[in-house]
Amino acid sequence: MSQWGFYFDPDKCIGCHACSQACTVRNDIDEGDVTWRRVEHVGEGTFPDYEEISISMGCYHCAEPECRDVCPTHALEKRAEDGIVTIEQDRCIGCNYCSYACPYGAIQFGEDGLAQKCHGCLGSGAGDGHGSPPREESETARETPACVDNCVTGALDSGPINELLRGASTAAAEEFRSDDSGPAVVLEPATGTEGVSGDDG
Amino acid sequence: MDEDERSKVRRRTFLKGAAGALSVAAAGCVDRDSGAVAHAEAAHETAYNNCWICRASCGQEVTLEDGTAVDLTGVEGHPKASAGPGAEGTLCSKGLAQLDKTYNPNRITRPYIREDGELRSAEWDEAIAYAAERLESFREEHGPEKLLRYQGYPIGGEFHDLLFRDLYGAPIQVGRKTTCHGPFSDSWEWMAGYGREWPDWRNSEYMIAWGRNPMECFRGQWEPKGIMETIEENDATLVCIDPRYTKTAEVADRWIPIEPRTDGALALAMGHVIIEEGLHDEEFIEEWTYGFDAYREAVADKTPEWAAGITDVDAETIREVAIGFAEAAPRAVAFPFTGLSFQGNGFKNCQNVHALNGLVGNIDRKGGTRHWRAGFSLADPFEERGIDVPANHEGRPTPDYDDYPYQRHIRDLSHNAVPTAVERGDIRGFVNNWSAPLKSGNSEAWADALEAMDLVITVDAFWSGVSRRADVVFPGASTLEQPFLATGGDSAYSESGWVTASDALIEPVGDCRTDYEIYSALATELGWGEYFPWEDAVEFYDEQLSGIGRSFEDIAERSYEIVADVKYEQWREHGFDTETGKFQFDLDVVDGYAALAEETDVSTAPEWHPPDDDLYGETTDEEYPLLLTDGFVQQLSRGHCQALDDAREEYLDRFGFRYEGYDGNLLHINPSDADPRGIETGDRVRVESPDGHVELVAHVYEGVRPGWLFAVSGFGAYSLAPDEAGANMMTMNTERHVEPVSGQVDRNLPVEVSRVGGETA
Repeated sequence: MSQWGFYFDPDKCIGCHACSQACTVRNDIDEGDVTWRRVEHVGEGTFPDYEEISISMGCYHCAEPECRDVCPTHALEKRAEDGIVTIEQDRCIGCNYCSYACPYGAIQFGEDGLAQKCHGCLGSGAGDGHGSPPREESETARETPACVDNCVTGALDSGPINELLRGASTAAAEEFRSDDSGPAVVLEPATGTEGVSGDDG
Repeated sequence: MDEDERSKVRRRTFLKGAAGALSVAAAGCVDRDSGAVAHAEAAHETAYNNCWICRASCGQEVTLEDGTAVDLTGVEGHPKASAGPGAEGTLCSKGLAQLDKTYNPNRITRPYIREDGELRSAEWDEAIAYAAERLESFREEHGPEKLLRYQGYPIGGEFHDLLFRDLYGAPIQVGRKTTCHGPFSDSWEWMAGYGREWPDWRNSEYMIAWGRNPMECFRGQWEPKGIMETIEENDATLVCIDPRYTKTAEVADRWIPIEPRTDGALALAMGHVIIEEGLHDEEFIEEWTYGFDAYREAVADKTPEWAAGITDVDAETIREVAIGFAEAAPRAVAFPFTGLSFQGNGFKNCQNVHALNGLVGNIDRKGGTRHWRAGFSLADPFEERGIDVPANHEGRPTPDYDDYPYQRHIRDLSHNAVPTAVERGDIRGFVNNWSAPLKSGNSEAWADALEAMDLVITVDAFWSGVSRRADVVFPGASTLEQPFLATGGDSAYSESGWVTASDALIEPVGDCRTDYEIYSALATELGWGEYFPWEDAVEFYDEQLSGIGRSFEDIAERSYEIVADVKYEQWREHGFDTETGKFQFDLDVVDGYAALAEETDVSTAPEWHPPDDDLYGETTDEEYPLLLTDGFVQQLSRGHCQALDDAREEYLDRFGFRYEGYDGNLLHINPSDADPRGIETGDRVRVESPDGHVELVAHVYEGVRPGWLFAVSGFGAYSLAPDEAGANMMTMNTERHVEPVSGQVDRNLPVEVSRVGGETA
């Protein structure tokens, strides 16, 4: 299996929410409180030594997904063909165990009470992606997910993890390899703003 | 409409509800139980369009499913939507939210006319006949010169002008120079002969975003993309001067949270350093500028230490930025925008900043500011057909407002002078196209003025303070529903002019109509049908494009085309389009400004004008100790985004308010101002100025300067936000809040804030 995953560089992210909005549009997510992808803005420091960092987050399609492990009805599956974690909603009983287990808040519940989340745009609609062909062979999957397609600055990427690692910095690649049983996301280290200035002379 | 009905209606649900309007044969996708299989069965196709959410005209690729637009992304290589040749195209978050505009359940989809004091829906024929009859009686009673033109986001703006200016003869409009960029564009036009220079970001090595937030608000995706690319590839430096920690500050090398409205002092001190260090461009100054001696004299004693006491930027920082900027020149740019143009002393602040660009010789040079041009002209379809369009607006009497200094040299009426013009009987009616004047300046006086007018006609998509007060409301089509053509201009192609076009991709929702259909029907009813002989706008655009040997279909099929070469340093060939033919540090040769300067006893050269409670903006005091400014963020444009659930949710999510049951805007306040007032994040607060008060919800954080408050504009009273949630800061704006040179609305208000109790939800 070639694990499919995401790449994210916080230094390139401008916190614009194009990724989260693109996800909502392409997947026609129809409930205001449900977001498969979200952007977090983390501020630190006291004026004028204040800094923010923007982080785009969604399901990371973990190598050993805890959501799957706790699901009593086996509705969650880590697909053998591409490692994408999908939800078979017909089996979901809305018990919420998966969302308690997920460390990233990726799993959401709509008004139907059933679990839903990022499926890497295996389809382009509101479906859960379960049962779709592998990304490489799928006719409904886009070449790239909506979030990556619309990332203004190239901060987000996706694809087979090995390819993402080849394009990543050494630091990011090493960090990923030290934890390759976890989330399928290659994260560049954040460096932040330098030289914050004010009247501090 | 009650709360349930107002709740979100997604595109596919909408489609399901729009019985008979569109083919839904294969749209099993409305039923989520059908899952992915249904999607495979649905007929997908993609086609090009242009985004008009903020008028940037980014090329967009639209996915259509059985005649409904279901997805969007940018067009590869598009001059506005990409970083240039072969680069991927994208849309910003507000552009991506636009399907929510087209398919919005709150959208106006039928014409309305006023009968017995109430608006009621009408058939098109009836609404057109009614509007024409009202326009005719207005002309007989008042004369066409008393009809005010106002345009915001018109797609067929030329048809609006043709009908109301050229044919009907209404000479006056309120333009964007008094609601958006007057101090910036007037100063730059007088100095460099080009009113809206824009950076050549992609090739710049030192960029000063000065009261400007190009990571969030831009004239297309090419701006943030170009900046990030030159940072990565050229190790370029980005400096953000802004009292607010914007997303531009986040990616900048240096954030300078300056004391608001002191930008002109900082710019003078930077000029002082550059001359002291001998880093100015002597050759450019000698050959291509006028008034340098006056400038040198103006900055002679403006040391960084002098400016530090005014700006709260330490002297060493001023030196470093000045030297970094000058050493990188000409591949350097100091670029202000609304942060400065919204200031009561904004004109001089902008003049002082622009002088820096002249000083280091970066005008229309690679990586500097750019005099963007298309470099080609389209054909004139009227000329092609031998139609002689009258200029019925010329020679009409217009009000002479000598008591308003700026009215002597600005072309039209200042936005904030309109209520007085109505009171004086000089304006009695108003024709509007997708604009929202009640959030652009003195809103309360404007609302009264609209009530007092004899005739208000608007083309719009949502109910707002204007459309609710209108006598005729025409439901306009979005870009997805009508043809579009634009040329330029500023883009990712630094040395090229381009054309972009797109045809309607979907049937207009409900009874909406294209701009051409609306204006040509009205013109025909008024007896001017001969001036609208084209079948539709496509035919008109087609004749325009014949001037460059292209057809509308050619361009629309490929989204855009690069048409012409536009070299740098265009001034070498033609000189600057100014009185002296040179870049002008000193504006003593600009008659209108020179007269005003003499009268107000100010220098025509760059000079420091602090806010003074007289001409240049109001100062804070014990009673109103905080300064409030409103402006923009990435997720919401100046246009219609406040009415869109998706856009509003993304904005509120950014500040942690997505799940708080509040739909309005937030008041951003520093803890050092909030704590003594007992204000915490989520508290409802009352903002009070000498001229009124508003209420909204506080967001307390360290990303705004102490003593200064920020709120996003476009919410609250008169807005098209649902329930008018949030606060419209412009209800506290009055006629006197005007920058005195350009007539631009001053959006800096001294206020006090208090907690009113109650939580957000």
